[in-house]
Parts: sequence; C-alpha cells; structure tokens
Amino acid sequence: MNALLPYTLTGVGLFCLGLHALLTHPHLLRKILAVNVMGSGVFLILVALAKRSDSPVPDPVPQALVITGIVVAVAATALALNLLLGLAASSGKAELAEDLDE
Amino acid sequence: METLTELQWIFDVLTGCGLLWLAWSCLSSRNLHRAVVQFVSFGLLMSLAWVRLEAPDIALAEAAIGAGLTGALLMASLARLPLSGSADIRALKSAERIAGARLLQLLRNSLLFAFALFIIYAIFFLPPEFSGLREEVATEIENAGVRNPVTAVLLNFRGYDTFLELLVLLGALFGVRIVGMQPVRTSMTSEPVLNILASLLTPILILVAAYLLWIGTDGAGGAFQAGAVLGAGGVLLLLAGWRPARALMASPFRSLVLLGPLAFVFVAVLPLLSGRALLQYPPDSAGTLIVLLEIAATLSIGLTLCALFLNVSADDGEQP
Amino acid sequence: MAPMILTLPWGVALIVMPVVGALACYLFRRAAKPLGLMTVTVTALSAAGLALRTTRADSYHHAVGGWGAPLGIELYADGLSVLMLVATAIVACAISFYAARFFDDKEQARFWPLWLLLLTAMNALFLSRDLFNMYVALELTGLAAVALTALTGSQDALSGAIRYLLATMLGSLAYLLGVVFIYHGYGTLDLAMLGQLVESNPVTWLALGLVSAGLALKTALFPLHFWLPPAHASATPPVSAALSALVVKTAFYVLLRFWLEIFPSEGAAPAQLFGLLGCAAVFWGGVQALRARRLKLLIAYSTVMQIGYLFIAFPLGILLAWHGALYLLLSHALAKAAMFLAAGNVLYYGGHDRIADLDHVAQRLPLTVAAFALAGVSIMGLPPSGGFVAKWLLIQASLDTGQWWWTVPILAGSLVAAAYVFKVVGFAFTQAEAPQEAKLVPVSMQWTALVLAVAAIALGLIAPWTLTWLDVGDPFSGAVSR
Repeated sequence: MNALLPYTLTGVGLFCLGLHALLTHPHLLRKILAVNVMGSGVFLILVALAKRSDSPVPDPVPQALVITGIVVAVAATALALNLLLGLAASSGKAELAEDLDE
Repeated sequence: METLTELQWIFDVLTGCGLLWLAWSCLSSRNLHRAVVQFVSFGLLMSLAWVRLEAPDIALAEAAIGAGLTGALLMASLARLPLSGSADIRALKSAERIAGARLLQLLRNSLLFAFALFIIYAIFFLPPEFSGLREEVATEIENAGVRNPVTAVLLNFRGYDTFLELLVLLGALFGVRIVGMQPVRTSMTSEPVLNILASLLTPILILVAAYLLWIGTDGAGGAFQAGAVLGAGGVLLLLAGWRPARALMASPFRSLVLLGPLAFVFVAVLPLLSGRALLQYPPDSAGTLIVLLEIAATLSIGLTLCALFLNVSADDGEQP
Repeated sequence: MAPMILTLPWGVALIVMPVVGALACYLFRRAAKPLGLMTVTVTALSAAGLALRTTRADSYHHAVGGWGAPLGIELYADGLSVLMLVATAIVACAISFYAARFFDDKEQARFWPLWLLLLTAMNALFLSRDLFNMYVALELTGLAAVALTALTGSQDALSGAIRYLLATMLGSLAYLLGVVFIYHGYGTLDLAMLGQLVESNPVTWLALGLVSAGLALKTALFPLHFWLPPAHASATPPVSAALSALVVKTAFYVLLRFWLEIFPSEGAAPAQLFGLLGCAAVFWGGVQALRARRLKLLIAYSTVMQIGYLFIAFPLGILLAWHGALYLLLSHALAKAAMFLAAGNVLYYGGHDRIADLDHVAQRLPLTVAAFALAGVSIMGLPPSGGFVAKWLLIQASLDTGQWWWTVPILAGSLVAAAYVFKVVGFAFTQAEAPQEAKLVPVSMQWTALVLAVAAIALGLIAPWTLTWLDVGDPFSGAVSR
C-alpha cells in the first residue's frame, strides 16, 4: 500500500486541481488545459492502484485502457481547440459569454 | 535493498509533488504561453511517472501524444488567439471581488477538498491484494499472437475498444473539417535552423516510428506510439513550412486516413463469414493480422494527428 | 426464413453498417447523401432484424474476438437495449430523410460522416455491457454530437458546442474515475459480473457517486442542465432533433443499467435525491420554456423538463415505474424529434423562430402546425398518446408504492406543458399580413415531422405489446418488488 500511495494521491490531487480550474477560469484555453490535467489524474490513479500486488508483472489491462484514454483525450482536445479558434475568430473572445454572470 | 526502496519512495514523492506543482502553476500562471509550456513539462514528468509505474507503453504514448502533440496543438492555437494571455486572470480577479463571490468560492473549495478526502478515504477500503485481469491475460497470451501483453489487450482482447477509439479520432477530424478554420499560413520557410532540423529529424522520426511498430509486438511500443511519432514528424514538417501538393491532399490523403478504420472493419467482419465472432482472428494468423492492423492504424493515426494540427479540411478545394 | 433471422449477427451489423457508411460518405463526398440514406435504411433494417430475433428467441449475445467477459468485450441486447436501438433507428431514419432535403450540398458532405458516426456510437453503446467500452462509446457519441452542433459555424453554435464539449468531457471523466474504482474494487469491467460481486462499502459509494454525477451531467439533469439549452437551441434543426431525442438519452440509458444492476443493494437515499432533482427539473424546465421567446429554446427547455420525469421513476423503483420511464423516453424521443423538425420547417419558411412572430404559419404550413400540436399532445400526456401511457404508469407506480406526492409534479408538469404548447400554437394561428420573404418548405420535410408526431400518439395504442417486448431477457430483474 505504501509504495503506490504517492502516485495515487498525486492522481487525486490532479483531478481536483483540474476540476477547480475548470470551474473557476473563464478563459477557454485554460478550461481545456484543466480537463487534460483531470484526465491525467484519472489515468494515474488507474495505473498506480494496479500495483497493489507483489507480482512482478503488472496488470496490462489498466495500461491498455490508459493508452486508449490518452488518444481519446487528444482527439477531444483537438476538437475543443478548433471550436475555440472558430469562436475567437467570429467573436474576438475566448470566453463563454455568461460565465462571469453565473 | 532497504535504502534503495527508500530512495525510490523519496523519488516518487518528489515526482508527485513536481506533477502537482506543475499542474497548479500551469492552471494558475498569469501568462497563457507559460501555462502551455508548463503543460508540456507536466506531460514529460508524467512520462517519468509512467516509467516508475512500470508502464513503458504509456510513457511512450504520453511523451509523444500527451506532451508532444497536445503541446504542439496548444502552441499553434495560442499563436492564433486574438487575446493576450494575462486577460483571463484579470477577469478572474475582478469576478472574485464581487460581494458574496468570496463565500461561494470558500464553499466550492471546501466541497472540493471534502471530495478529495473522500476519494482518499475510499482508497483504503480497496481490497489489499489486487490481480485484476492479470491471470486471465497470462493464460490467453499464447493465443493472442503477440507477446507484449499491453498490445495483446489493445489489439486482441479489447480490440473492439481500439476500433471505436480510431473512430473517435476520425470523429475529431470530421469535426475539425466542419469548423473549417483557415490553415496556418505562417511564413516559416525562412527559418533555416528549423528547416535543417526538420530535414534531419523527419527521417529519424520515421525510423523511430517503424521501430516502435516493430518492437510493439514484443516490447514497449505499438501502433499508437508509432502513429504519434509519425504525426510528430509531420507536424515538424508543417512547422518548417512544408505544404503537401494539393493533388496529394485530395483522395490519397482521405484513403490513407481511412486505412486504419477500414482495415479494422475488414479484419473484424471477415471472421463472421466463417462462423466466428467479430474480430476473432484465426489462431495461427493472429500475429500477422495484428501487425497488419498496426501498420494501417499507425499510418492513419499519424496522418489524422497531422491533419488535426493543420486545423483544416486538408482534402479539397473548399478552402483557399 | 425464421432460422436465418435467428442466426444472423444483427447486433454486429448495427455497428459495422454505419461505420462503413460513414467512411464511404467521407471518401465519396459527392455521393454522401444517397450513401448516407442507404446506410441509415440498412441500419434500421438490422435493428428490425434484431428486434424480431429477440422476440422469437431470447436476449442477444456476441463475444467480440471470441474471448468473452471478463477478458474480452461482449455485445448484449435484451428488451431494453432493443427498445433503445429501435427508437434510435426510427428517429434516425426520419431525421436522415429530413436532413437530405434540409441541407445544401456543401453541408450534406459535412453532415453525413459525422451523423453516421454518431449513429454507430449510439448503437455501440446500447449493445455494450462493458464499462470501459461504454466510456469510449460515450466519448464518440459526445464528440460527434458536439461537432454536429457546430455544423452551422455561427457564433452561437460554436459557443454552444464548446460549452457542450466541456460539459460532456467533464461528465465522461467523472464516469471514468468511477469505473476506475469499480475495476480496482471488483476486478471486472463487465456490468453483469459486477452485479454479482458488488457489495456496500465506501469504494462502491464513491464509484456510484462519480458515475451518477457524470452521467447526470451528460443527460442534463437539473441543476447540471446548463449546457443543454444553448447547444440544443443553437444547433441546426435536424441536429437539435437528434440531440434532444436521442443523444441525451444515451447517458440516461447507462445510468439506468448501472442502477438496475447495482443500486438495489444500495439504499434509498440517492433514489430520493434523483426524484427531487427530477421534480426541480420539471418545474424549472417548465418555467423556462414558458418564458422562452424563441421556439427552439422553448423546445430545448421542454427537454430539460422531460428528463426530469425520467428521474421520478428512481424513488418509485418498481417495475411499473421503470416501464413508465422507458415509455416516456420512447414517446419523448418521437415527439421531441417531431417538434424540432417542425421548428426547422418554421425556420426554413420564415428565416426565424421568434414565437411572437409565428403569424401566418398555420395557414402556410398546416402540416407543420399539426405536427407540432400532435407532438404537444404526447408531451402534455393527453390520451391516447405514448406520453399519456407513460405518465399513467408513473402515477400508478407512485400510488402503488404509497408515495402519492410524486403525482403532484407529474400532473402539474402536464399543465405547464399544455401552457407552452398552446402558447406556440396560439401564435401560429394569429392573422397577419403575408410575410416578407417566405421560402417554400418541401412537402417531404413537413410530412416527416407529422409522421413522427403521429407515431408518438400511436405509441399509446400499442402499449401492451411494446411493454411485453421490453421485458425480453428480463432487464428489470433489479427492480424493487413489493
């Protein structure tokens, strides 16, 4: 339990840091960064917790899931950045209008 | 032995703290440019963490995709955003000054903190001994056609996930075509250093991609890592001002992008004709089929990532 | 004939067909429209095949790769999945034939590949029983839906789309973190196996909390609905129809599966919370719909309200309540698609959707107004519509479980729905001078909306048959029994 704790806790911290930034920052690029950090946190927890056994061979399934997750994340990020650029080009702003009012 | 584990533990704690610090400063630094740079460093440190967690496959994917390509995407987008980087922090600060916002902020932060504590609390209730699906994978790995268990899971046991994942990548590409942004038309051809770098690095990157693909059946590596490296090579060429001829961008490009998904559909449906299940490879040719699938997927992934970077529907005369 | 129907891999066809169609539409962009229409038709036939197969035989299993759970992924379809697949097929057909007339050539080439990918993703989700596979399918659904939202490229659409994307990514990540804890707690990703293993402890609570919160965000349960009205109101009408009728239901479906497999062991507090949030959604969505000045925004808020009804089934928990919720989901899918397509006709005709300026529409677009009114009948829950059967079942369930107070929001919601439907229909009948530049609406577009609306009504008449069919493979074995 001891050995896996640093990375598991880091993962939890990353998830919460990302969530905090996603909720507070109005700038969309910052929100996109925040979602990516949250994702890294989830992936870290997934793999770090798999090291709970003494076996020398780690469970390969979490690793495969994380690789899938990383590719999904880059696809979503690319789409988000493109939408952001389109929005910025047509409105001159990189924020969502009502965010400050909410 | 005792001191070694202790040293490792200290190293892990330091890496964890470094990750948290980089994430924090990336998400709160005043300058967006700096934030993006810190995000890339964050990705690189993540790769180090993956190595420590004995996950070299993820380390490669993280370095190439998580840090490399996502970083390039972020940089390129940032360069085209009209706003300067510090505006958002100013807006945030002014929003915080509104009366009552403080209280709300306090409430939100304490909720988040409680949430984090609950996650940590729950972790201690996990069964102490965990083998997951390791045994199942170990029993069937002989029939999987490849020796790297991660590749076996990605392309055989859970190949269906990978198929859907290629479609996610394709969906992002279709979506980018819809938004139809103008291509990056910066005059970077006059940068000799970048040119030399690109002409030197691109062949090396192609070789690295081929190596990763080849080694992926036995050791760390595989289609995604190789595809990402290929994509990185393409991005480098694009940065150096290289623009593919329009003829090349038309239907050959489109067919190549579709190569991965098409190969998957073909390999998936073929077994159905002989009464087997979707994606059920014949046992003796599983290895060959997986390698073929990986080659197709690598080309597709590399090209798709390039096209995503180019931010443009790279296939027709619709845009200038 | 019969044995062939039983042996063909219909479930696989439901996934592979739209993929091939999407790839073909991307490769041959000039022929995107005929290719797309053909694909949607063939996919709908596969859904019909699967439905026939499950009524004749039993639930459908297909171990992808031949491995089987827990190592591999299994496709699985019982009555519940088949119902979702058939509803998707019907609505998708209508939307496709509508879109074939609605979009110009350039938009056709952009629309079809994404639309077919969206269809693939939804079919894959309804056929999945693997938690991580569901995550990938949910992401594909979300990404394709977001891209379709941005189809017009207008500023409103882009900002609606990016808000939608961030919300759906956050929802997916919360879901994924929940799945991480499930995997580490129980060592499996197969939902059915999990149902056997699950026990009550902090790990389970955390996982279920994360999964529920993420899926509630994706299905736009009040107060996590903030992203829905801008996205659904700013998308182009055929896309809005798909988003409201089908896409928000995908996350609800996953939540329902989780609930039926796992929650029965998990006490009643979260169920009550879901019920209360559902009531709040009915109230809030209704009020906002009444206040809306644009037709599409009104319909979008109506979706927020109808999603609320679905969650009232959770505190009731008995078979009758789940039947009611599923029937509401089905009739809402048909009626809401009809409403958005009718709104699309109004937009096509007059170039705007301001409710106060809908004058003359009734004379010029009688079929469209009829479609809207008929769909309204189902949304309100008047007999003999599908909406009526659904609300009747829900009311019956709340009386049976002795929780009569849940009938109050159900009945009050119907009154509010009546108010906003009549608001629109009333304005449509105002007499005014001929509009400036009206565009002729193709008859097929008008009929498509009407057919969907009539189907929503007819759903009430075939209820006994549909409900028996829903129970194939016993998907509601997890329902509370009294």
